[in-house]
Amino acid sequence: MSLLRQQGSTVTAPPSAAPAKGLRTPAGGRRTGGLSARTRHKGMGVLLISPFLLLFLAFLVAPLGYAFWLSLRTSTLVGGDHFSWFANYQQTFTDPHFLSGVRRVAVFGVVQIPVMLGFALLGALIIDEVTSRLAKVFRMTLFMPYAVPAVIGALMWGFLYSPTFGPVNAISNSLGLGKVDLLSHTLMLTSLGNIVTWQWTGYNMIVLYAALQGLPREVYEAAKLDGAGQVQTALRIKIPMISSAMVLALMFTIIGTLQFFTEPRVLEKTASSVITPDYTPNLYAYNLAFQYSEFNYSAAISFSLGAVVFIGSYFFLFATRKRSGLK
Amino acid sequence: MSSTRQPRSLRRTAVAATSAALAGVLLAACGSGGGSGSGGAQSGPVHIKVWAWYPQFKQVVAEFNKTHKDVQVDWVQAGVGQDEYTKLKTTLKAGQGAPDVVMLEFQELPTIQLSKGLLDMGKYGANADKGNYVDWAWNQASDGDHVYAIPVDGGPMAMMYRADLFKKYNLKVPTTWAEYKEEAAKLHKADPQAYMTDFGSDETAGGWRQGLMWQAGSRPYTYSASKLPNIGVNLNDAGAKKVYDYWGDLVKNKLVDTQSYATTDFYNGLSTGKYATYIAAGWGPGYLSSVAKKTSGKWRVAPLPQWTAGGNAQGDWGGSSFSVTSQTQHPKEATEVARELFGTSQAAWKIGIDQAYLFPLSKPVLNGSYFGDKKYDFFGGQQINKVFVPAANGIGSFDWSPFQDFAYNTDTSEVGKALQGQSDWSAVNDNVQSQVTSYAAKQGFKVSK
Repeated sequence: MSLLRQQGSTVTAPPSAAPAKGLRTPAGGRRTGGLSARTRHKGMGVLLISPFLLLFLAFLVAPLGYAFWLSLRTSTLVGGDHFSWFANYQQTFTDPHFLSGVRRVAVFGVVQIPVMLGFALLGALIIDEVTSRLAKVFRMTLFMPYAVPAVIGALMWGFLYSPTFGPVNAISNSLGLGKVDLLSHTLMLTSLGNIVTWQWTGYNMIVLYAALQGLPREVYEAAKLDGAGQVQTALRIKIPMISSAMVLALMFTIIGTLQFFTEPRVLEKTASSVITPDYTPNLYAYNLAFQYSEFNYSAAISFSLGAVVFIGSYFFLFATRKRSGLK
Repeated sequence: MSSTRQPRSLRRTAVAATSAALAGVLLAACGSGGGSGSGGAQSGPVHIKVWAWYPQFKQVVAEFNKTHKDVQVDWVQAGVGQDEYTKLKTTLKAGQGAPDVVMLEFQELPTIQLSKGLLDMGKYGANADKGNYVDWAWNQASDGDHVYAIPVDGGPMAMMYRADLFKKYNLKVPTTWAEYKEEAAKLHKADPQAYMTDFGSDETAGGWRQGLMWQAGSRPYTYSASKLPNIGVNLNDAGAKKVYDYWGDLVKNKLVDTQSYATTDFYNGLSTGKYATYIAAGWGPGYLSSVAKKTSGKWRVAPLPQWTAGGNAQGDWGGSSFSVTSQTQHPKEATEVARELFGTSQAAWKIGIDQAYLFPLSKPVLNGSYFGDKKYDFFGGQQINKVFVPAANGIGSFDWSPFQDFAYNTDTSEVGKALQGQSDWSAVNDNVQSQVTSYAAKQGFKVSK
């Protein structure tokens, strides 16, 4: 779906924040050392992180800075380019195209995210419980769509949705239900949601499964002795204990949803009367820059979207700080 | 847009490539450096980098390189239509990485010219070519003595129809749009699975809809780069409204299909007899014969139906030209390439006509007997250019806007709303007009009707 979601794989790997906490203590202990040693350490530290720092500055900070500078200027097709402070941002939050896109991804997320994470959780609980060879096959199969590049996945689904070639229409026709246009205005969000769910359920399942595998087995035994069945163990022990992993999975999913781009961009070619250039905020930013050459306004839209994502995730983490163990 | 002439596979590649557009641009930026292969000081030929998209261009380049000593062309396929423009606009913004010569459709010229991306070839002798090209094309490519492009091919519109289906259902070849509608009703009644044609509702058909409005007398823009910041925008004139009233009515009565033009479903409809006609452009024969190969021999070409019986109003859909970008290090040589890739070269035009199915805008070729008398097997041996050439000569003058992508996208969105029943067909033109007008005003234009 987006870069951020893929980065999730590296970020979410340790499913709880507990090990990070543990690390802090020895670091604190080291502070008792002499001043000269500390300065030497500091110099070494800078040296050691310098390769990272250089790349970080060159490929993250500098482009961000440039984009921010662009967003503070206004350039029109006639009349050139001038510094305009925050005029572009003012325009962004009153721009019906941007706002309708934000509303659309919000509606999309409210339905799609619970469905997908629900499936992922269910799958994770099942493969955690069942340890047969079948579970391994199941795990692989569900994870496989994640290995398909998003563009290829969207193209493939575009064919499956096709009114002429798609199996959905073949089935509904043979049942006498007539034509179902999955690429129409009314069904497009559902069709897109299906693609995203297909692609990301397995990934989230693995994240939750990894968290489940990290739980101490003695707890289950204790629960069993207390008379808890499998369903009760799952509901009262497993799910509460992996809540931090669930919060993180949810968080990355929300960020990915706000940045929804690849699937609508691909289906835009087959259904451009439905997927308008402002369909999602990211698609809108892309079209502004690369079709209309409005680089400045596009930069402002991107930053505004970034701000929405940042503030949204901050509040989300704040609200769930107890569950996620980040307090 | 003539981009639709490409076979599906190519377009798919282009779709996939778009997502990596930035990466592509970076690569192009690394590889080009203004296309100066050997540098000015050294002797040897100057290398000119050219972006163009049809595969048969390879032979055209080979022919050029064979006949030129001091200038050699390096061809790059940088994407079809919109994908190429996206890259070009990015390289122009970046200030480097653009090719020396670029293939551009006519409707894109004012946009690129306004971003100061095009070289005025008039300074390098291109005005000498003025008489070689049909007037409307030369007018779109130039502004007084400033020459921003050399026309290559055009897209005069005509109606292609399935002679076998017309016979089977006893249909008459319509000469007016009123007759077209009658025959459409007759066909759909006889076979509910068949449609008279497919209404192009997507972005790639933006030029198709504009071409039909062109024929109906609509002149949406009054624009010339030398009269900036003035522009006339009139997207809801009588001609434009007539077209959407007519097609909206056909759509509402389900007499035409509404599949996007850039889909396999559409190609499939052309080859399975789902569509009895295809309102096409001069490059359509090549396109049709590649996507609907198995229907060879069944198609014929007739003039575009008219709004008034006996009329001779024509429209154009697509067509391309060669421009020199402002980033070139070799303006003189690049101009030479743009002028002579096709120019008056018999050999190049033979490749263009026979293999790439280009519709020539060069007067001697257009009115020559080789093109005019050519028989096409795909059309049952019909001399189709007896229809297309008069159509090309009946195309009047027409201006494009310097924000054509925005205008097409807005039009596509509004047509989409009407198709999905969210708004009324009669409101489409007015909505497009108000959105495009306010966009233009925001961009600093002085907008009048």
